[in-house]
Amino acid sequence: MRTLTATDLEDIAFGAAVLGTGGGGDPYIGKLLARTAIEHHGPVTLIDLNEVPDDAHVITCGAMGAPTIVLEKVPSGEELLMAMRYYEQVTGHKVTHIMPFEAGGLNSCFPIVLAAQTGLPLIDSDGMGRAFPQLEMETFNVYGVSAAPVAMADEKGNLALVETESAAKAEFIARGICIRMGGQASLVNYAMDGATARRVSVPATMTLAQDIGRVVREAHAAHEKPIDALVDFLGTTHYGHATRLGSGKVTDIARRFENGWSVGVVTITPFDDGLPYSIRIQNENLVVERGAEVLAVVPDLICVLDLDTAEAIPTERLRYGQRVDILGIRVPPIMRTAEALTVFGPSAFGLKAAYRPLGL
Amino acid sequence: MKLDSQNLADLAVGAAFLGTGGGGDPYIGRQMVEICLSEGLEVDLVDPDSLRDDDFVIPTAMMGAPTVLVEKVPSGEEAVHSLKRLELRLGRRATHTMPIEVGGINSTIPLVVGARLGLPIVDADGMGRAFPHLEMETFGVYGVPGCPMVVSNEWGDSAVIETTDNRVMEWLSRGVAIRMGGAAYIAEYAMCGADVKRTAVPRTLSLAIRIGRMLRDAKANHQNPFDALLGLLPDTLYHYGRIIFAGKIADMRRETRNGFSLGTARIDGLGRWTGLMEIEIQNENLIARVNGEVRAIVPDLICIMDSETAEPITTENLRYGQRVTVMAVSVPEIMRTPEALAVFGPSCFGLKEPYVKIEELPA
Repeated sequence: MRTLTATDLEDIAFGAAVLGTGGGGDPYIGKLLARTAIEHHGPVTLIDLNEVPDDAHVITCGAMGAPTIVLEKVPSGEELLMAMRYYEQVTGHKVTHIMPFEAGGLNSCFPIVLAAQTGLPLIDSDGMGRAFPQLEMETFNVYGVSAAPVAMADEKGNLALVETESAAKAEFIARGICIRMGGQASLVNYAMDGATARRVSVPATMTLAQDIGRVVREAHAAHEKPIDALVDFLGTTHYGHATRLGSGKVTDIARRFENGWSVGVVTITPFDDGLPYSIRIQNENLVVERGAEVLAVVPDLICVLDLDTAEAIPTERLRYGQRVDILGIRVPPIMRTAEALTVFGPSAFGLKAAYRPLGL
Repeated sequence: MKLDSQNLADLAVGAAFLGTGGGGDPYIGRQMVEICLSEGLEVDLVDPDSLRDDDFVIPTAMMGAPTVLVEKVPSGEEAVHSLKRLELRLGRRATHTMPIEVGGINSTIPLVVGARLGLPIVDADGMGRAFPHLEMETFGVYGVPGCPMVVSNEWGDSAVIETTDNRVMEWLSRGVAIRMGGAAYIAEYAMCGADVKRTAVPRTLSLAIRIGRMLRDAKANHQNPFDALLGLLPDTLYHYGRIIFAGKIADMRRETRNGFSLGTARIDGLGRWTGLMEIEIQNENLIARVNGEVRAIVPDLICIMDSETAEPITTENLRYGQRVTVMAVSVPEIMRTPEALAVFGPSCFGLKEPYVKIEELPA
């Protein structure tokens, strides 16, 4: 157990954006919301997954929608609280613990806002170990937790509760509501007890995000190359392996808003004018290819980082001319099982490439 | 009043008439209630005046495009599920259900719900006809909130929607209905008996049954069914009607967009009717013009009927070549107030023409 204060947020937002693998929402907006909440309500208690009591009533939470929209439709910060209060009202349960449902710039910070507002402990884990574009792509779902009921709120106070048998259907119907809420909504879902949370969650991802931020910050201070420090550090974590897949200049970006997601392709041309890298996007970076060669594919993380600062560039902020490194990170074992790959492996995104874990 | 099979046949015809082209295929709705009757279940219709002020009424309905319903036939459990989910949400059991609109399937869905759950059905509704949007209810016009409301599908999936604005309720629930395949089943505008008496359009189900019976009797007695119908109206809240055109369907334009059936019917005049009538459709018939001149406009009823049998034809069943007679009917005064016209008058459908009562339009 430890306490998160406003000074922790810089590193967390920085690292969460890396884990967001291009998605997970804007880290800057997430950081501002979390800082405001902590200034108003005081610091947040962060607990390890193994400190959660068996009979805890855990809910997971975050924002749903297209990251491109968050840039214009900024959350008020009250949405998650409304969604959680609504969840409690309709189910009659009292929430005791809060967990992010994904790791990502906005979605790691958003639950910090809720934890500050409610005074409830925040669990240092999540259900994606990264960011994914769909609600069913959760280790919670992979290992048997029901996504429903899904409580939704928008900034105007409109509420919805989705109840379905499958997580995929919850995704489909909630996405329909989200689109009509303006393409962006806040969600509470995957309620579970503490014993279940320990079994089905990707552990220590908030701490990992903060460590990533710290390692890069320290590398800067020591005038070392941050990407190298990052690769070395990630090898020592439970993710186990990271590698620089390539570097170059963004030479083309095709992006559109489709069915409530940001989808597109980004082309990165290496400085030696060799074969370009091509990254396919659905909110997050899904696959990086060079010619016919697949360099990395979901669920492994593909992070586009600023060449100088190692700052993660979310897909909605990619621009022509940016100089970038492409970092690949292998996901932890809980995300590489056959059951997990059925839910968020390459075929779940319509990709033909087979999953081959990085470095194995 | 306990409804029997003959009542259902009459109701289907009369509701299709009052449905003014919308409300879905009456055939499917009727079959669903017939199954209930064949299982020995009772369909008990009660007058709104018999409600106690603290009775608790939960209206039920189908939501979506009537064109979709022809292929995606309901199981009959969907609306029951929505009502039960809403009871759970409100922590209160319904004493009655009620239609939200009168029209093909939506006059019969509450009958199925009532029969399945043993609840009486209130002889009233919130539109006095059919309308394409959920906020277009006299309930909402006179202050009853639509939310919380529930949308369910045939798989038992549901969504509870909670907003303070009935237009936002329509917008969000329509998104759900579209993702549930374009037709879903709802429970909404839960209210006490006193509010039903204050805000509902009364006795529209029994009126539909009377209309159906009248047309059946006229046919059996070799009377002109149109004359019979026009003779019945002065004695009801829909006190005025007249035939505004007759001819042959010359062209049908139709598309399903944003969850609605949209289109235009063109009718070439026959006999004493000359020129071309154009009727604009958004699930229901909205406006009838002859050579650009308005002959009837929403919320007054515009009913397209078979010229031989006087059978009402819903918009999805309109076809090239049909010989049709178009009748316009005044709606009850509760639907013609400024507050009501602000919610379902011509401007709410993007029409530029102002509302003019059918009695005051040139024939």
